[in-house]
Amino acid sequence: MAGADEDERPPESDEGEEELDETDYKTQKDAVLFAIDVSASMLQEPASAGQKKAEKDSAIAAALKCAYQFMQQRIIAQPRDMMGILLFGTEKSKFRDESGGRSGTGYPHCYLFTDLDVPAAEDVKKLKALVEEGEDPDGVLVPAKEPVSMANVLFCANQVFTTNASNFGSRRLFIITDNDSPHGKDNTAKSSAAVRAKDLYDLGVVIELFPISHGSKPFDISKFYDDIIYRDPTAEEGSPDVVKTSSSGDGLSLLNSLISNINSKQTPKRAYFSNLHFELAPGLTISVKGYMPLHRQQPARTCYVWLGGEKAQLAQSETIKVDSATRTVDKSEIKKAYKLGGEYIHFKPEEAAALKSSMGGKVLRIIGFKPRSMLPMWASVKKSIFIFPSEEHYVGSTRVFSALWQKLLKDDKVGIAWFVARENANPVMVAIIPSRNPNGETQYLPTGLWLYPLPFADDVRNVDLAAPPRPADELTDKMREIVQNLQLPKAMYNPLKYPNPSLQWHYKILQAMALDEDTPDSLEDPTIPKYRQIDKRVGGYMAEWKELLEEKARELMKSRATKREAEDDDDGRLAKRSKPAAAKKAGGQMSNAQLKLAYEQDTLKKMTVAELKDIMVIKGLSTAGKKADLLERLGEWIEENA
Amino acid sequence: MADKEATVYIVDLGESMADCHNGRKESDLDFGMRYVWDKITTTVAASRKTWTVGVVGLNTEETNNAQDREGLEGYEHISVLQDIGPMTMSSLRELRSSIQPSYSSGGDAISAIVVAVSMIEEFTKKLKYHRKIILVTNGESPIDDDSSEEVAERLNDVNIELVVIGVDFDDPDYGFKEEDKSSLKAKNENILRKLVDQCKNGVFGTMAQAVEELAVPRIKPVRPFKAYDGPLTLGDPSKYESAISIHVERYFKTKRAVPPPASTVVIGPDYGVPSQSQTIDGDVEMGGTEFSGVKYMRSYKVNDPDAPGGKRDVDFDDLAKGYQYGRTVVPFSESDMSITKLETKKSFTILGFVPFSSYDPFINMGETGIIVAQKHNEQAELALSAFIHALHELESYAVARYVQKDLAQPQILLLKPNPGIEDEFECLYDVPLPFAEDVRSYQFPPLDKVLTVTGSILKEHRLLPSDDLKQAMSDFVDSMDLSNFGEDEEGKPAEYAPIDDSYNPVIHRINQAIRARAVDPEAPLEPPAEILLRYSKPPEKLIDKAKPDIEALIDAAEVKKVPAKAQGRRGRKEAVKPLSGLDVDSLLGERKRTNISMENSIPEFKQTLATATDDATVEKAVKQMGEIICKLIQDSFADLLYARAAENLLVMREELISLEFPALYNKFLTALKKSLLSGELNGDRREMWFKYIVGGHLGLITQSESGASEVTEEEAKAFAR
Repeated sequence: MAGADEDERPPESDEGEEELDETDYKTQKDAVLFAIDVSASMLQEPASAGQKKAEKDSAIAAALKCAYQFMQQRIIAQPRDMMGILLFGTEKSKFRDESGGRSGTGYPHCYLFTDLDVPAAEDVKKLKALVEEGEDPDGVLVPAKEPVSMANVLFCANQVFTTNASNFGSRRLFIITDNDSPHGKDNTAKSSAAVRAKDLYDLGVVIELFPISHGSKPFDISKFYDDIIYRDPTAEEGSPDVVKTSSSGDGLSLLNSLISNINSKQTPKRAYFSNLHFELAPGLTISVKGYMPLHRQQPARTCYVWLGGEKAQLAQSETIKVDSATRTVDKSEIKKAYKLGGEYIHFKPEEAAALKSSMGGKVLRIIGFKPRSMLPMWASVKKSIFIFPSEEHYVGSTRVFSALWQKLLKDDKVGIAWFVARENANPVMVAIIPSRNPNGETQYLPTGLWLYPLPFADDVRNVDLAAPPRPADELTDKMREIVQNLQLPKAMYNPLKYPNPSLQWHYKILQAMALDEDTPDSLEDPTIPKYRQIDKRVGGYMAEWKELLEEKARELMKSRATKREAEDDDDGRLAKRSKPAAAKKAGGQMSNAQLKLAYEQDTLKKMTVAELKDIMVIKGLSTAGKKADLLERLGEWIEENA
Repeated sequence: MADKEATVYIVDLGESMADCHNGRKESDLDFGMRYVWDKITTTVAASRKTWTVGVVGLNTEETNNAQDREGLEGYEHISVLQDIGPMTMSSLRELRSSIQPSYSSGGDAISAIVVAVSMIEEFTKKLKYHRKIILVTNGESPIDDDSSEEVAERLNDVNIELVVIGVDFDDPDYGFKEEDKSSLKAKNENILRKLVDQCKNGVFGTMAQAVEELAVPRIKPVRPFKAYDGPLTLGDPSKYESAISIHVERYFKTKRAVPPPASTVVIGPDYGVPSQSQTIDGDVEMGGTEFSGVKYMRSYKVNDPDAPGGKRDVDFDDLAKGYQYGRTVVPFSESDMSITKLETKKSFTILGFVPFSSYDPFINMGETGIIVAQKHNEQAELALSAFIHALHELESYAVARYVQKDLAQPQILLLKPNPGIEDEFECLYDVPLPFAEDVRSYQFPPLDKVLTVTGSILKEHRLLPSDDLKQAMSDFVDSMDLSNFGEDEEGKPAEYAPIDDSYNPVIHRINQAIRARAVDPEAPLEPPAEILLRYSKPPEKLIDKAKPDIEALIDAAEVKKVPAKAQGRRGRKEAVKPLSGLDVDSLLGERKRTNISMENSIPEFKQTLATATDDATVEKAVKQMGEIICKLIQDSFADLLYARAAENLLVMREELISLEFPALYNKFLTALKKSLLSGELNGDRREMWFKYIVGGHLGLITQSESGASEVTEEEAKAFAR
C-alpha cells in the first residue's frame, strides 16, 4: 500500500549511524566546565542610571544565567554531553564530598557548584534557584578576602576532567572573568598558572576565555591570559582565536552579549569526515573536512525505567541475537542475505564487500560545472554538508579551494560531483554550491562550499497531475499587494527565530515533571503566524481579492458548465446518464462534490472494488480490506473532507 | 498496488536455439533467457501475489497442452512448463531445470500463442488484469500463418499485449540486420511482424536491443501519494473574516529510494533437511532455504552496588516507560506518555514572504513536495494560480507552517512558485527549512582574507589564491562546463548528467546481483553495469578538451602532497606554545619530575617524553604509566575507571607510535591482556579488554602504523580476540 509507510517521514535513522566516524575511537562526547570568577567587581550591581534599557544584571548574574541557559539547551540538543560549574575566588571552598583523594582544602577558594556530568534535574533546579530566585543558602557567592591562585583553579579543573570525562573527544573549560590580571606582577604565581595550563593542554582540554569588561576599561588578555590560552589544535589554518570581550553598551545588555559569545561555542566543532580527497581534475587533488551545520533535532526516544528501587533508574538494555530455536548465535555465524520471493539470497562476505567496493572508495570528484540556474528548484532530498579545506594532506589546498569558491560565486555556477563520504558509504551526486559572502543573508551559516545532494532518478516521484498553467490576471495583481506587504522581518527566513515547537514542548513538559513543577498549559510558539498583524496589514487587500476571486470563479464555472453541456449533448445519444449515476463515472475523475453526492445518495456501493480503490489511492487512503471496509473508510473521508 | 498482471512467456527451446550465432559465445537460448530471466526475477523480487507468470515451451520433445489433449491438430511440441501463478524462488528453480534446448523443431509459434491466450483467458476470466504474452524465438522452425488474423483478433478481444522478441531479427529502427539470413527465418520474421502489426497492443523487437536495455535500470514506479488535502491559509479564517483559504493538495515530489535492506541470518537449526526440491543431478539444492532470520532478545539491567559486577538483571514487566531529562529519568505511566506531545491540528498556514535572493538551496532539510489546487475546484484553481504568479512576478517565496495531520509535528516549509512556463505544469514546490535547534553555529575563518593574531587583514598570503591561480581556476571551470555537453534524443547538445539519467548505483547494483544470483547461485558476481558508474568520473572527451586549462591550473595551484610520515609527527618538531609564545617547557624544567603521578598522569607522561633525552627515561615513564593503568583497573568498581584507564592507554599508544617505540607498547599490552583475562586485576576484567581495548582500537601497534613494529595486521587481529 502506498499510504501506510509513506505517511510518516522516518526519523533519519541511517544518518545517526553516519554521524559517528568509525576511525575516531575517542568517544564523540563533549564536556564543558564553566569556571566563573566570583569577585567584588563581578558581583557589582549595575548602576541604574534611570535609562530605559538599563543594565539589570551584575556580571555574575549574567554569567550564571548563561550557564543556566546553556544547561537547558544542552539537555535538549546534546543529551549525552556533560557540563559542570566551578566557581572560583569564593570565600568557601568545596570539591567533592565523596571524593576520597583530595579534600576541599586542596583547592582553596574553588567551589564546585555543579560537578561535571550529564545534568540531572537536581542540578537544573539548584542552578535555577540561584539564578532566578537568587537563592544562595550556602552563601556561595561571597568573594574571598585573599586572591585565588589561578594555578589551583586550573588544576582543580584538570582533576574534574580527568576523573569525570575520561576519554571524551572534546573537553572545554569556559572561563568567565572580568579580571585580566589575577596575579598582577607576581611572576611565580603566573608561571605556575602557565604550567598548569600546559597540563590542561596536554590533557586535551581547550580553554575558552569569555572576558567581561566594565565601561571603557578594556580587558587586556596579554597581561595574563596569553600565557594560558593555546591555539585550538582543531582550528583551521589561518584562523587566529579571536577572544571576544563581552560588555554592556551599544544597546546590547551584558547578558545578551555574553550569551551570543557563549552560544557560538555551544557545540564543539565535530567533523563529519576529515581529509577527504577532493579531486578537482585528473592530477589535481586537495583535501577537505566535512561538517554538518544543519541537523534535524528530534525529541529523545523513550527509555525503560526501573521503579523497583528507591530512585527511578534507567534500565540498560542488552540484546542478544538468537536463531529460530532461540539459541544464542555467535557473531561469526551471522551472515547478510537479501530476501527475494520469500527466500534468502546470500552473498559470501567477500562478495558483499565487492558489491560495495565496486563503487570506488571515498572521494569527492568533480565531473564538471553547470550554471546554478540548471538546478531544478524541486531537486532536494537531504540536508547538505559543509566542506572546508585542510592543509594536512595537501599543502596549497586552502588557496585552490578559495579560488574555486570565488569563481563559483562570481559566475553563479555550481560544481557537479560524485561523492562518497566514507569507505563503504553509498555514493551520491552532489552540487557544490558556494555560500555567499559573510555579509550575505544566511549569516547564521558559515562561508565556504556546500555539498548539496542531488536526487537520483529513482528518488523522483512521477506526479501525474493535470495542472495546466493559466495566465496571470487581475487576481495576480491584487495578490501582489498582499505578498509585498507581508515580508518576514529583514526579508529573510532566519531559523534562529523559530524554535521547533514540538521539541520545545516536549522538553518543557519533561523539565516540569523532572523538577516537580506545574506543567505549563501553553507554549509560546513563534512558528504560528501573527494573525492579528496579517489582518491589520493586508486585511483590506485580502477582502477585495476574495471578492474578485468569487466573481472569477463563478465565470469559470459557468463557462465550464456550458462546455460540459455541449460535450454531454454529443455523447448523450450513446448513453443516457441517469441522475445519481455520478458514481458511474470513472472513479478517479470524480470530484469531491460528486463523491459527496454519491455518498449521500448511497450509490458508492454500486461501484466495483477496483473503482473504489482507484479513488482511494488518489485520495491517499489505504486500500486494504474488503469492500465494506473500503466503503466505510471512503465514507469517513468524504464526511471529513468533501 | 492494485494492478494485477498475467504474463505468459513462450520460450523457443528448439534444437537450433542451442547454437551460437553471429559471433556470440552463448547459445541463442542463453542469450534470449538473459532477457526472460531478468523479467521473471524482477517479478519474483516484487513478491506480489497478483503478478502472475506462466511459461510455455516451444519445440519441446514432449507435447503437453490443453489444445492437443482436446485432439486439435498443430499443437505438437508445445509444453506448458508452468501454469499461470505467482512466481516464487522454488518455481524459479523448477523452471530453471526445464529450460533446456531439445532435439526437436516441430512446434508452431502461432499455436503456442494460442495456448498462451487460452491460459490467460482461463486464469483471468473477466477480471481487471494486465495481460501479456512474450514470445522469445530465433524463428528457425516453420510457422503456419493461416490463422494469424484470427489469433490477432482474439488477442485484441481479450486485450492481451503481444511482445515478440527475436534473436537476430532485423530491426531497422535499432539498426540491426542479419546477413545471410535463411529464407525460412526471413519468412517467419515476416509472419510474426505482421501478426504484431495486427495487434492493438503489440511490440516487435530484436533480442540484442532487449538485452542491451536490460542494463538501463528500471525505476520502481510509485503511485503519487497525497500527503495533505486541505486548506492553505493566509491569516486565521476562524478569527478574521479577511483571511484567505485555498483548498490544496500536496504530494511528494522527491522521496529518497533506499537500497534493498539486507537481513541478518544464520544457518538455520534445521539445516541439512532440505525442504525444497532437488536439482536434476541429485545435489541438494542450496537456494538459500538453509538460512533463517536472526531474532533479537532483549534483557534489561540496572546498577546495583551489591550485585556482582555492579549490575543485575530486572524483569521486563517491572519496567515503566519514560524519558530522559539530562541524566534524570522521568517515568511516565502509559496514559501520560502523550502529554509531552504537542497538540496540533492539521493545518497549512503562511507566515510571510521572502525574496528569492535571501535563500540558498543548501539550507533545505529534506525532500520536496508539490502543491496543486484541489481537483474540480474552480475557486481553488484560480486562487492558487494567482498566488503562484504573484510570487513568481515578485521573485518571492512563501514561508509556511505545515502540520500534515492532527498531532503531527509542525514543519516550516518554503513554498516556491512554478508558473509552468517550461514544463506546462503550474504548482508550488515546497522544501522543509531548519528550526533554531537544527542549526549548529560553527565558526570558520574567512576564505578571501587572512586575519593575523594582531588583528590586521592580509590579502596576500600562501593560503590565498594569487591572481594567476584565480585566472587559471576561472578558465578551468569555464572549460569544464556541462550545460551543453550532453546530447538529447535528437542528438542536439543538451545538459550532461541531468537528474533523469542518473541512477542510484547502489540500488541497481544490488538488485542486479540479487537477480543474477537467484537465477544461478553458482555464477560469480558480474561487475556493475557501466551505466551506473558513468557519472563517477568526468567524461573523457571533456577532459581532453580542457587539458590545457587543467595543466595551467595544476601549475598555478602548486599543491604538494604531505609525505605520509610527516602527518603522524606533525607538530612534534616545534614545542607547543601558548598565544604569548611563552616557553612553558623551560618552566616545566624547573618542576623537577621524577615520578608520574596518577592524578595528573597524562600531562606528566607527555611532558616527560617530550623532554626525554635517552631511552631509559622513556622506558621508565612507560613502566610507570603501565603501573598506573593497572592500578586504575584494579581499583575500578565495576567499569567506573575503565574509560580513564583506556585514555591513559590511548595516550601511551599514540606517544609511543610517534616516538617509534612500538615494541614498548606491544610488550605492555601483551602483559596487560594476560592479567585482564586471568583475573589477576581484582576480578573479572574481561569487559575492559573487549569493550575498551579491542572495541577502542587500542590493540597492538602494527607495521602499518609504525615502521618499527614487527607486528603484522594478521597478528594484531589474532591478538584482539
